Amino acid sequence: MSAFSTDTLATSAQTAESPALIRERKDRRRALGLLTPGLIWMALFMVLPMVMVVYVSFWTQTTFAVNSELTTASWERFLSSPTYLSAIWTTLRIWLIVLVLTILVGYPVALFIGLFVRNKTIQTALLVACVIPFWTSFLIRVIAWRPMLGTEGAINTILLKLGVISEPLTFLLFSEFSVLVGMTQIYCVFMVGPITFMLGRIDISVIEAARDLGASFGTVFRRIILPLSLPGVMVGSIFVSVMVLGEFATAASLSGRKVNLLGNIIVSQVGSLKWAFAAVAGVVLTIIITAVIALALRLVDLRKEM
Amino acid sequence: MLTLSRISRSYGDTVALDGVDFVVPDDTYMSLLGASGSGKTTLLRLIAGFEEPDHGEISIHQTRIDGQAPHLRDIGFVFQNFALFPHLSVADNVAFGLRYRANKALNNDTEIKDRTQEALVLVGLDGFGHRGVSAISGGQRQRVALARTLVCEPRIVLLDEPLGALDANLRARMCDELRAIRQRLGVSFLHVTGSETEALTMGDEVAVLANGRITQSDTPDTLFSQPRTAEAARHMNAWNTFDGTLCDGMSVKGEIAVRFDQMDVSAQGRAPKDHLRVHAQYLTGEFNGPTALSFFRAADGTLLQIIDHLSQPRLPDLIEGQHYDLHFPSNALRQFHGAV
Repeated sequence: MSAFSTDTLATSAQTAESPALIRERKDRRRALGLLTPGLIWMALFMVLPMVMVVYVSFWTQTTFAVNSELTTASWERFLSSPTYLSAIWTTLRIWLIVLVLTILVGYPVALFIGLFVRNKTIQTALLVACVIPFWTSFLIRVIAWRPMLGTEGAINTILLKLGVISEPLTFLLFSEFSVLVGMTQIYCVFMVGPITFMLGRIDISVIEAARDLGASFGTVFRRIILPLSLPGVMVGSIFVSVMVLGEFATAASLSGRKVNLLGNIIVSQVGSLKWAFAAVAGVVLTIIITAVIALALRLVDLRKEM
Repeated sequence: MLTLSRISRSYGDTVALDGVDFVVPDDTYMSLLGASGSGKTTLLRLIAGFEEPDHGEISIHQTRIDGQAPHLRDIGFVFQNFALFPHLSVADNVAFGLRYRANKALNNDTEIKDRTQEALVLVGLDGFGHRGVSAISGGQRQRVALARTLVCEPRIVLLDEPLGALDANLRARMCDELRAIRQRLGVSFLHVTGSETEALTMGDEVAVLANGRITQSDTPDTLFSQPRTAEAARHMNAWNTFDGTLCDGMSVKGEIAVRFDQMDVSAQGRAPKDHLRVHAQYLTGEFNGPTALSFFRAADGTLLQIIDHLSQPRLPDLIEGQHYDLHFPSNALRQFHGAV
C-alpha cells in the first residue's frame, strides 16, 4: 500500500509542475518585463546611433556633403593633423587638471558635510546649498565668470584697489586658466555628492575605535577615512570625467578660442556640415571616455565597496 | 586604579550623569549594571575620551586624564557593534593599534606579526588572520574587537555591552572566556551591561548605576543579598520593593524590599501570626521551566512577584482575581534609610 502511494506521488510530481518551478518562471517573466523598456530605449537611442556614428565616420566627405561610399580618408586626415592630435592632448590635459582640482576642492567640502556635520537635516541642507547654482542655466553660470575674471572684472578691480598689482592680470580670462576655473566650479558638486555619501556611511564608532587604539586624527584620516571614501571619489571621478571629456561650452565661452577640446571640434565640424569628420572625432572621444571609465573601475571594485 | 570623582554630564536638559563617584581597582573584573538610558555608555565614553564631562575628574593612578585626547589615554574600548575596520583583514585590524598609534608605534614587521598572532591565539582565532572582517561570524568579530584592544596592552579595558550582539549560547561561552582572558592578562575590565545575570556572573565586583549615580558597588553576592538602596534592589530583578505601610502585623516606614523567593502565599487570614503580611490580588503566573513566577497586585497598585522553584513547590493553587495574604518572616525584610 505504501509503495503504491509513493508511486502515485512521484508520478503526480512529474506531470504537474512544482510550485517552485512556476514561481521561478513568474519571477523571470517579471524581471524581463522590467528590463524591456530600458533595453528598447538603449538600443534605439544609444546602441543604434553609436553604430551609425562609427559607420558615418567611414563615409566619404566632400566640401558640403557626405555620401555613403566607404573610405578611411577622414580617419587618415584626423590622425595626421597636428591640430586634431593636439586637441586630444588638450582634452586629456584639461580633464586631468579639472579632475584633480575637483577632488582637491570637493573632498574637504565633502569631509565637512559628511563627517563633521552630525545632524542629518543640516547635512541635507548643505548638500542642497551645493546644488543651488544649478537652479540657473549652465550657460549663465559659465558666462558669469566673465565679469568676474575680465580685465575690468571683479578680481582685477579688487587686486588693483588693494595695490597688489599695478595693471590688470590678462591671463585670468580667455585663457586655459579661465576654462579650468569655470569647469572646476561647475563640476565640483558632482565630486562632493558621491564622496559625502560614502563618508556619511562610515560608522562613527569605527573612527572612535581607531582613535582609541592610539591613532592621531591624521593617521585615522589616512588609514580609515580616506580608504573608506575612495569608492565615492571614484564615482565622483567618473561623473566629472564623462562630463569634462565631452565638454565644449565652457571652452567655447571662456577660452576666447584658445582652447580646442574634442567637443569643440565636433561642434565646429557639424556646424560646417563635415559629418564624417565629426563622426571620427565622436568615435575618438567615445573611445577615450570608455578607456577612462574602464580604468577607474579597474582601480576600485565598486561592487565590493558599495 | 581608575578613579572617577563627581563626574557630571548633561545633554541639554537631560542629565545623564549626576556626580558619579566610582573606583575601578587594579586587576579586577568590574561589572557596571544599569538600565538602558541610565548613562552607562556615556560613562564609558567619558573615560575613553570621546566626550568630556561637564564637571568632575577622571584619573588613572592619580594622573588626571580628562581633557586628554582619546588617542593618548591608553584605554581600551570594545564597542557594542565591534566597530571593526571594514576594509582591513582580521590581522590588519588587530595590528592597527601597534602599527599606527601615536605613542610607541612599532615599525618592526616581525614583531607586529608575532604580537598580532599571539593576540589572535589568545582569543581563539588562530588561523583567521587573512580573512576579511565581513567573512567571519558575529562571535568571531567580537573576538577580533577584543584582540585588537588587548594587543595594545591598555591600562584598562572598557567593554560596552560586549555580549549584547551575540546569541545566548555564544554569550555564555564568551562570559567564561572573557573572565579567563582577563585573569591571564591581569588588566582591569570595566564591563557595562543591562543584564543583572551577566553583571553578577562576570564581575568580581558589581556597581549599579541609577539616576545618574553609582548607587552601590559591592561583590556580587553582597549586592544580591544585601542591596543598600531600593534602586540597587530593583536592579537585581529579584526583590519586591514596596511601601512599608502595606504591611500588616508590624509598623514599617519607608520603602522596603523582600526577595521573590522569601515570600509565601496563603489564603486570607491564614498567614502565620509571626510573619509580616501584605494583602494582594493574584494576577497571573508565568512558567519559566525550572521556576515559576506569580504576579500579585497590592492595594496601592504595586506589582509583587513571587518565585517558586519546581523542585520545591510551596505555593497553593492560585485563582486569578482572588485575594491572598503574602507573608514573610521579619528577617527577610530589607529597609532602606532615607530617600534614594
